[in-house]
Amino acid sequence: MIIEVNAMGDACPIPVVKTKNAIKSLNGGGGVVKTSVDNEIAVQNLTKMAQQKGYEVKSEKLGEASFLVTMTIGEGAESVDDVPETCLVAPESAPRRNVVVVISSDKMGEGSEELGKTLLKSFVYALTQQDELPATVMFYNGGAAMTCEGSPCLEDLKTLEAEGVEILTCGTCLNFYGLSEKLRVGEVTNMYSIVEKLSGASLIVKP
Amino acid sequence: MRVKTLKVIFSFPATVDAMAMEEYCGERGIPGRLIPLPPSISAGCGLCWCAAPEDRDKIEKAARDAGLRVGGVYELML
Repeated sequence: MIIEVNAMGDACPIPVVKTKNAIKSLNGGGGVVKTSVDNEIAVQNLTKMAQQKGYEVKSEKLGEASFLVTMTIGEGAESVDDVPETCLVAPESAPRRNVVVVISSDKMGEGSEELGKTLLKSFVYALTQQDELPATVMFYNGGAAMTCEGSPCLEDLKTLEAEGVEILTCGTCLNFYGLSEKLRVGEVTNMYSIVEKLSGASLIVKP
Repeated sequence: MRVKTLKVIFSFPATVDAMAMEEYCGERGIPGRLIPLPPSISAGCGLCWCAAPEDRDKIEKAARDAGLRVGGVYELML
């Protein structure tokens, strides 16, 4: 028996769901299920599902956004109910974001120092208004003052911290500027951690 | 989800007015703060004074006393 499944335009995990339903309809009698999808992530998810269940599987690219995944299910095959209907491979449309904001000065931009300080305060406020908050905001050199006593950004940074944003300030910089005892939000960090965070970031934002 | 509350917004025709407002109010303990202008408002300056609605009269007087130009006054959920 051959069952054709049309999952073109379906978002993950629908292609896997539709294919599982088709396999169930074989009622253990064996057969071939051919699923059409329009992206490689769906191909990978279907292939992984088939491999988990021990089905013979092959995939073909038929066009720019057209793929056919063919699974051969033997008679008496085990139930597919234990295969989770979740994306085994994360779809590209929902990447995990690890945004790191770097603040290396007490002002934003070049030119007027007064304007630059005002702009930075506005930037930090605007950060708190984002629907998707950054994972980390890190401060070094002149930016170290922003997490210390007297900073005009403390309230906003504390808001970010309360929402789960990691606030980090370079310890070397705090020491250099005599601010070690004046840190008022977040934690002290070091260059190794700074390099690690920056290297692992999916996006680095530097105002 | 961030909770939005009603705010009074004072826009300015120029950034120098916005920054002068911040200095004037800061020195006198007048409530509010400078924030980026919400996208729904059009003004010469991209900064605005934001405060609780009940402080509107106090802030309008402060702007007059300071001789500052105010572009418009709005009430928005922010």
